[in-house]
Amino acid sequence: MSIFEYNGSALVAMVGKNCFAIASDRRLGVQLQTIATDFKRISKIHDKLFIGLSGLATDAQTLYQRLVFRHKLYQLREERDMKPETFASLVSAILYEKRFGPYFTQPVIAGLGDDDKPFICTMDAIGAKELAKDFVVAGTASESLYGACEAMFKPDMEAEELFETISQALLSSVDRDCLSGWGGHVYVVTPTEVKERILKGRMD
Amino acid sequence: MKLDTSGLESFPSLILHGNDVAGEISAPPSFDLPNSNDFDGFLKEAIQMVKPAKGTTTLAFIFKEGVMVAADSRASMGGYICECLSTLLFGTGRVLCYLLLIKQFFFFFIASQSVKKIIEINPYMLGTMAGGAADCQFWHRNLGIKCRLHELANKRRISVTGASKLLANILYSYRGMGLSVGTMIAGWDETGPGLYYVDSEGGRLKGTRFSVGSGSPYAYGVLDSGYKYDMSIEEASELARRAIYHATFRDGASGGVASVYYVGPTGWKKLSGDDVGELHYHYNPVTPSTTVEQEMVDAAAA
Repeated sequence: MSIFEYNGSALVAMVGKNCFAIASDRRLGVQLQTIATDFKRISKIHDKLFIGLSGLATDAQTLYQRLVFRHKLYQLREERDMKPETFASLVSAILYEKRFGPYFTQPVIAGLGDDDKPFICTMDAIGAKELAKDFVVAGTASESLYGACEAMFKPDMEAEELFETISQALLSSVDRDCLSGWGGHVYVVTPTEVKERILKGRMD
Repeated sequence: MKLDTSGLESFPSLILHGNDVAGEISAPPSFDLPNSNDFDGFLKEAIQMVKPAKGTTTLAFIFKEGVMVAADSRASMGGYICECLSTLLFGTGRVLCYLLLIKQFFFFFIASQSVKKIIEINPYMLGTMAGGAADCQFWHRNLGIKCRLHELANKRRISVTGASKLLANILYSYRGMGLSVGTMIAGWDETGPGLYYVDSEGGRLKGTRFSVGSGSPYAYGVLDSGYKYDMSIEEASELARRAIYHATFRDGASGGVASVYYVGPTGWKKLSGDDVGELHYHYNPVTPSTTVEQEMVDAAAA
């Protein structure tokens, strides 16, 4: 079994009309055994910037702590929040620092940039950025997620419709993956509010 | 090496001289063997190619009223992607050497959530499927044929002991050839309820409680703590269902539908087939939170 499949994960982010949604599953496992069904994979950097980390859970937690540290330093120096594009470059640089002993994690970054324009991107474990205009996926269920998102995505969806779409895509994809699922966690972010929702999924 | 192909004979061969048509159909079927020098290596590769569905949870137990058999219905596929990297290295002069690297990836894809893992051998005997689906299906059907032949030849039903012994002997003769069968034969015969565990290593165990598969540790936990010999059929079926549910919750390779069968004096009967996703919320109902985050209250009159 690959090290990326040790804990199991599923992450997806989608762009809507002046909003974005980022969703993850909630399972933490050790190979086939499920340990927890309330594991948080998506974390907030600031009100308009979220990062989800798939792959090995310990590396995801450590990387997240590092990123929070760097962002806080940035806030102290620049007296403002980081833009999503800048943050993505920061993550990419931190991952490439460990080129020959990498963090076994694939980040998914989603945020609202200048003029509240939604921004999403994903990276591989050594920092290769992949910007997308519609959706990005990561995790053990990524192949199923690509299929589901491709089929269900429409451009310029409003927040409610975006929530429905991303939830359906996530739930149907993790139902085809042994290592992810056991519920879902969705954040829908608009310029004015952040809505956090827990999805009821198949617990098998 | 002579293979025991008696398991494939479904009828006694008649030798009729001077009749070509009969001669053709009376030859007993047999498996072809590959013409290769490295038989063992070829077998290893063949085994890897037909890597069977792994994860499952099946269980069976004997109680006062008969035998209870239960299983999940998920088939997980461990596929593999082979990467062959060959590099040529030139040493000083004309020395060449090849480096071959074969990398194997396993990904845990759910091939199906609706596999029938409890196989009906005949109206009073059931077999469970764990390991290779094709192997289990074929050999259980073959066992059913042999049991029926026994009935016709001896004018009485075969016992569970006899049936499990037939299967175990066949599997033993194919030992080491890559069959993957971990099955339980449950039935009711003249001596009462019978339960045997038979596997492709040639093992055969008589017992009262068994669970087979990647989810079996979790099922054993629930089964062993809730088991009593004097249970009613409803209690036993609920215990079996809960054990399968708990295994599907914890084990990633088990899931789908929890089927429960009961084998009694009049034969087997399917009791329930509940979707495990719904069963979770049946056992753990979600109560909407009654606490409100922010509540507006009237200001107390001054």
